Amino acid sequence: MPAPDRKRRFELLALPHLDAAFNLARWLAGNPADAEDVVQEAYLRAYRYFDAWQGGNFRVWLLTIVRNSFFTWARENRSSRLVFQPDAPAGEAADADATAWGAPPRDPEALLLDRIDSQTLSRLMQRLPAEYREVLLLREVEDLAYKDIAAVIGTPIGTVMSRLARARSALRKLWFDAAAAESPRAV
Amino acid sequence: MQCDRARPLLPQLVDGALGPLRRWLVTRHLARCAACAAQLEELHTMRAALRNDLTYHRAPPALAARIGAMLPREDAPTPSRARWRLPAMALGGAGMAGALAGVALTLLVAGGDASNNAVARAVVDGAIRSRMADHLTDVPTSDQHTVKPWLSARLDFSPVVKELKDQGFPLVGGRLDYVDGHRAAAIVYHHDRHIINLFAWASPGLADSQPHAESRQGFNIVTWRADGITYYAVSDVEADQLAKFARLMAAGG
Repeated sequence: MPAPDRKRRFELLALPHLDAAFNLARWLAGNPADAEDVVQEAYLRAYRYFDAWQGGNFRVWLLTIVRNSFFTWARENRSSRLVFQPDAPAGEAADADATAWGAPPRDPEALLLDRIDSQTLSRLMQRLPAEYREVLLLREVEDLAYKDIAAVIGTPIGTVMSRLARARSALRKLWFDAAAAESPRAV
Repeated sequence: MQCDRARPLLPQLVDGALGPLRRWLVTRHLARCAACAAQLEELHTMRAALRNDLTYHRAPPALAARIGAMLPREDAPTPSRARWRLPAMALGGAGMAGALAGVALTLLVAGGDASNNAVARAVVDGAIRSRMADHLTDVPTSDQHTVKPWLSARLDFSPVVKELKDQGFPLVGGRLDYVDGHRAAAIVYHHDRHIINLFAWASPGLADSQPHAESRQGFNIVTWRADGITYYAVSDVEADQLAKFARLMAAGG
């Protein structure tokens, strides 16, 4: 098959997902310039390994490569900022599903999470470890099923669920703290 | 079901990952338990915020162009010809829907443009997509007497399905497709090792027209209209071969 044909096919499949790829990279990398590097590298890799794609969900396949490109890039460029180990040590993590969402609210009638503005939310997300950010993005923004998230981040589904629980719990805590800092009466 | 069992299931409820029985049990518990209901509310609030308020960073317009310019300089391994011609039909399954949805959106957008260009682009994209996304045929059979009723039962028109094996165009099967805003039949033929996608959709009230050939993005296209049905044959076979195929298809009988 001539190269232009292959390229055309690749573009037809891959370019519709460019926004999704960039958004994920942008949220992982934290700034647009690095995100562009990551996405470019990912698209190159995807193109190189295009023949290894076995059908199925192309977006999932592509996001897997974007995600891996980011972590490869991060390891090479700023390893010190990624020492965080998302899956908490044994004992704390084992029953995360049961406990991660925290104690029952004191006042069930009150609105628990006040709306926060987009800027604050972005700031909170940026404070989460990349491993939490990515599962939240893949689940809530990209609307991927557990099994697809598992494919993208390369873990079993059980890990997706527990990590998602911890990510939500962590965001919830930051959210409450932000609300409390903003208006001390809220909590 | 009590709180201790219901609570860890709330995220799965929100994520649509609970089976019907557990969903029912959790929902019943939620109706009686304000604390759990409040937690569910939190999950929904967080989701709504992430979906609606979190900045979605769209790719800069120049990025697509830059990627496009970058690709051909890469030394790509020669793809397996057979894989393209005959995608493994068994693969994919559930995952395919997502891939299709992404491209379908593109097709719908293209559908807003009524020009023939948009239609041609849509059928070419449909043809490419069909062989890439594991979705060449819904009804893989060389029997025209199976393909035709299968399609007719699912569409509000009945496209012509012919067996042209003796003329060098064996029938491979049919599938349902969606092209440029139309529910369409896609009837699939082989010619040598090439695939011909014949798209057909109802266009009631429009006059018949003779086969008209064009080419686009490396694909040849022949279109004609007969008995209120619009046909688009799309393939990477040689133009004269596709024209021959179209003449055979468009001929009466």
